[in-house]
Amino acid sequence: MTATALRASPGVDRASLIAVGAAVPLALLAGLALRWSGALTAAIVLMGAQQAVRLALGNDVLDEWAPLTAGALLLCAELAFWSIEPRIPAWSQPHLALRRLTTVLLLCLLSAGVGAAMLVAAGSSLSGGVPLELAGILAATGAVAVLAYVARRSP
Amino acid sequence: MTRSATPKLGAYAFLAGVGLLAALVLGRAELAVLAAPFALVLFLGLALAETPDVRVALDLDSERQVEGEEVNASLEVRTHLPVSRLELLLSLPDGLESEAPNPVLLALDLDERRELELPLRCAHWGAYLVGRLNARVLGSFGLLAYERSYDQRRALKVYPRGEALDKLLRPLQTLSFSGSQTTGTRGEGIEFADLRPFAPGDRIRRINWRATARRGEPWVNETHPERNTDVVIFLDTFAEARSGEGSTLDLAVQAAGTLAAHYVRAKDRVGLVAFGGVLNWLTVSSGVTQLYRVLDSLLDAEIFLSYAWKDIEILPRRTLPPNALVIALSPLLDERSVRALIDLRARGFDLAVVEISPVPFVEPGPDELDQLAYRLWLLRRDALRASYLRVGVPVVEWRQGDPLQAALEEVRTFRRHARVTRA
Repeated sequence: MTATALRASPGVDRASLIAVGAAVPLALLAGLALRWSGALTAAIVLMGAQQAVRLALGNDVLDEWAPLTAGALLLCAELAFWSIEPRIPAWSQPHLALRRLTTVLLLCLLSAGVGAAMLVAAGSSLSGGVPLELAGILAATGAVAVLAYVARRSP
Repeated sequence: MTRSATPKLGAYAFLAGVGLLAALVLGRAELAVLAAPFALVLFLGLALAETPDVRVALDLDSERQVEGEEVNASLEVRTHLPVSRLELLLSLPDGLESEAPNPVLLALDLDERRELELPLRCAHWGAYLVGRLNARVLGSFGLLAYERSYDQRRALKVYPRGEALDKLLRPLQTLSFSGSQTTGTRGEGIEFADLRPFAPGDRIRRINWRATARRGEPWVNETHPERNTDVVIFLDTFAEARSGEGSTLDLAVQAAGTLAAHYVRAKDRVGLVAFGGVLNWLTVSSGVTQLYRVLDSLLDAEIFLSYAWKDIEILPRRTLPPNALVIALSPLLDERSVRALIDLRARGFDLAVVEISPVPFVEPGPDELDQLAYRLWLLRRDALRASYLRVGVPVVEWRQGDPLQAALEEVRTFRRHARVTRA
């Protein structure tokens, strides 16, 4: 990711990008060694930050690799959080680990699919207007309502 | 079940929020795409969350076991809803160890019932309550955790491992009830004592035909009757020496259990006095029930720190019947128990002291002064033993790893010679 960012944004201070790139594995290692979710979150944020820098300083063309990057980020996060869970002899029941791994991979694929759909929607040549604005407001309100509902429904 | 958010929920919410905010600020849709998977996981995880309905039952295959042996704990786990990740921990008290993985990880399907066997090794004697179970279910995608404790406690008594004894200490005096101790008197019994001329009233079966033929007149066998006796096990619980897993109290309890089992088997009446910070006693009685009473009392034996002066005056009179053989198991570390034993002897009790040696539990310090103090302490212990011997109390040192029979033989030898000296 660091190499891609360096290649895509030659105008940026290379030392800063390399420093951010080096901080990612350090944060990951610290999170895994100390079983600290904060460090893992920081590592994911740093990875996202690199992409943000690359995108912000690059051209205005949509990055078609973004859905795959999103899937990879989720895979990293899932595996990292799996690693810091309390150690239980899970491999005494290998089918459990296999089932979970399959779920994670499917989730990553689904995420990539959703990302691709979002990218297609973002790249469409729809012009603004009242109906589109209305749809956006309804979607945002719906998202907040759904989140409030799922947060409340559990005891 | 108590629901709580895992760190992952907070982290994913943060990542989704930061990504969407960055997309808004920088005006790049790709950043929203990067944040979308985390938002998707959050949505799916919370939308699919259901409070699990896990029921756990526990049973032990035995309520009593001997130190070093195993007890099987049977766990039955049931659920009406599918559970993808259930962590089940059986909290074990010190002294019990699980031979199988604990906690265990399970996945249960709809209406599934699973049975688990958890062998528990009884590493140390004691009375335990086993069965506090902690269940933790991770919700979909590990965002929510549901925890619950189940109180399925069952009593488990782990008795100290006994030792085989060939010969027990014979008391100086016996009771009038039949038992296994051969008395010094003459009467109805099995053990041959002497020959005497036939007297009216003697039974024909007692006639010694060989002696009769040799002497020309009827002679009969005389026998020693077998009687039982009262044995009081005097356990010193004022102080102990401990090093790592072992202690003098452990050894004393082990020896007390062994002696009680063998004396009860020999039809003697056995009692127990735990003399220490907390006083505990059992009056003498016989039978298997009494053996279990003694063993159960031994499980409660603990060292309670106390500075209060105590002597045998505080013991109820019936706990120390006259003519009882008192076997004291003591590390001889506390002045109160040392004095109490001498007092018992002064009151005429048939006393034998098995000193549970604290020496193996004590490491001399590295300094010369420490070494000197250690040697002085050993000398003082020798002097203490000599003072017991002077008043006619056999005292033997028993160390961890030595057979108890050897200590008892030493007491028997002393008592034999002591009696000869008195004669």
